[in-house]
Amino acid sequence: MGNINRRTFLKFSVIAATLGAAPSAKSQENFSGWPERYGMLTDTTLCIGLNCRKCEEACKKVNNLSRKNLNLSDNSVFEHKRRTDPENYTVVNRFPNPNKPETPYYVKKQCMHCDEPACASACLVKAFKKTPEGPVIYNKDVCIGCRYCMVACPFGIPSYDYFDAYTPQVRKCTMCYDRIQQGKIPACAEICPQEAITFGKRKDLIALARERIRSHPERYHPHIFGEEEAGGTSWLYLTGLDSVQLGFPNALAKTAYPELTRGFLSAVPLVLTIWPVLLVGLYKFSQSRQVKESPESTQNSVEESHAGSNGKPDN
Amino acid sequence: MHREKKDRFKFFSLVVTLLLLLALVGVRQAAFSQNATKSPCSDCHVCPWPTAKEPCLKSCTRPEKVQGPISAHPGPDVTILGQLADMYQLVRFNHKLHADMVGMEQGCTVCHHYATSGKYLSCRECHGKKPSNPENLRQPSLKAAYHRQCLSCHREWSHQTRCTLCHLPVPGKTAVTLDSTDIIRPSHPAITPPQTKIFNTPYELGPIVTFHHQEHIDRFGLSCANCHQKENCGNCHDIQKAVRPAKSMEEVHAVCNNCHRQDGCNKCHDTKEKPKFSHAATGWPLNTYHSKLDCRACHPTGKKIARLDSSCKNCHSGWNPGNFKHAVTGLKLDEIHSQLDCVNCHTERNYSQTPNCSDCHADGRSHIDSPPGERLKIK
Ligand code: SF4
Ligand code: SF4
Repeated sequence: MGNINRRTFLKFSVIAATLGAAPSAKSQENFSGWPERYGMLTDTTLCIGLNCRKCEEACKKVNNLSRKNLNLSDNSVFEHKRRTDPENYTVVNRFPNPNKPETPYYVKKQCMHCDEPACASACLVKAFKKTPEGPVIYNKDVCIGCRYCMVACPFGIPSYDYFDAYTPQVRKCTMCYDRIQQGKIPACAEICPQEAITFGKRKDLIALARERIRSHPERYHPHIFGEEEAGGTSWLYLTGLDSVQLGFPNALAKTAYPELTRGFLSAVPLVLTIWPVLLVGLYKFSQSRQVKESPESTQNSVEESHAGSNGKPDN
Repeated sequence: MHREKKDRFKFFSLVVTLLLLLALVGVRQAAFSQNATKSPCSDCHVCPWPTAKEPCLKSCTRPEKVQGPISAHPGPDVTILGQLADMYQLVRFNHKLHADMVGMEQGCTVCHHYATSGKYLSCRECHGKKPSNPENLRQPSLKAAYHRQCLSCHREWSHQTRCTLCHLPVPGKTAVTLDSTDIIRPSHPAITPPQTKIFNTPYELGPIVTFHHQEHIDRFGLSCANCHQKENCGNCHDIQKAVRPAKSMEEVHAVCNNCHRQDGCNKCHDTKEKPKFSHAATGWPLNTYHSKLDCRACHPTGKKIARLDSSCKNCHSGWNPGNFKHAVTGLKLDEIHSQLDCVNCHTERNYSQTPNCSDCHADGRSHIDSPPGERLKIK
């Protein structure tokens, strides 16, 4: 990372040309993004998991998710690895600690809020947006249900809610975007009894994480997961082991995933050319709401999603 | 020829100057980077240019544990935490019990990481209510500070997170059952150091290691934390010790190596148990006073223990008949004998040998039945 590649350069020009007033601090270290954007830092060496999962509960509360299947004292949930689903935007999984078996590691999993989100890049109708504040948010009103985002996400996060036939939608963590806008902090960071989750400016969190690694080298694996992975993510992790041992995807590219997913998409030219047109046509036909900008290319959608300033469907 | 020599000299001096310059820059940088690894000044000081006179210290700052001894101060027996009184019963923290235990580790600093010279600050004085406080991201809120502190040990030995250990629900709300192990005992039973520990090791040439624990305490004036630096509650209280991984060779030897790095394996490893160190075996049985000293009083540390000249004057150079109190030897000389010069009785200046009465007295008296003064009991 660190240098401006061709794609980033192109992006600048596109944004500059189309919007005129692109955010000024584009040339930040790795991601050409908003330097003041927020992030989250999960310190997996602090999470207690067992008998806790308060973050899961708080998440369900603020997102109005069903709490039917939530029993915080049922620790059998740790016996298998769970993934995020439409009822659980975040899940805590347990991983053995070979150095100290008596204190296994618990790892909270949720959307990473990538700086250059693959989901947004793959989305044909610009349903995903990287907001200047940091969260990657989703707009169910424009989603056509193609589920490209689910295929594209390198972390396997977005899930599809099949249960309601009328309002099918992709579900994932929002990093409590609306709470951030109200000046609050995300619910999980607020509830966590250990403050294993810290909310703050991403750059401050990186400094904080570095300091923790430096002052406790025996406690931490010397790497901040998310600082560069997948082109940088808003959600960062401090771990006591190599991230692969904690269920994070192996061999994550350090470049942003839109680059890679475009390759995937171009391998399916039929899908790329006919499918969107067909679906968008159907969509426009069935919805009274007009989508003003037609998706010209996946590239465009991610650019514009970056540029969007407040998460509303249109700029 | 001459010119060539001059050139070579020029070249040589240039290299030397460059090297000197480099060395200087190196020193400067080393000094700088050492500073740079410390936390920024603003962590502790409010003003930009603190001076010794006006350090303008913040009251609560240091994120890390303060190292070094902190004078023991009488803390409270029990501390009551009542911030969540509307949700739970008061939390009764048995301060004394915990203070007793941390003596085995780093003492008070295990929890009181910000140690001022006066009374310890209470947690609440620094740790506020706000989680993810943008003013100071690295400082946890009071809630997290408590939880991190308590759970770092309680989770480790119990392999559990039992909220009810501290938080009892307010009656009327959902009842949580408590088992009797949750009731905190008033203080930790006294920790008595073992006399001697015998270890069976896999080292073939000397499988048996005898460690005279008490002797190390007495002889070297060691406190628990001098050796038990990585002790934690789990080492004693773990409910399932078996799951703990065996220590590596390096870890096993680390504590001994703190002092015995220069010694060979045979210092500890043998085929049979080793007896305690006996000073008599060196040819000098120590008397009551000397046997109470720690080795360093006579054998300065940091050097190999060398045989000392055993004449009293070697250490007690200031002694003379005028200021030596003979009573310290267990014999208070009577009036007549106390007038004599030392060498009158200790003819060969061998003070460890009992003098011979017949050297002066022809009546055949002995030291036993007619001592030259009053025998005292010395402890
Ligand atoms: S609330 Fe905090 S400590 Fe509890 S499971 Fe979630 S991240 Fe871990
Ligand atoms: S690609 Fe996946 S992890 Fe990244 S922002 Fe999209 S859903 Fe979240």
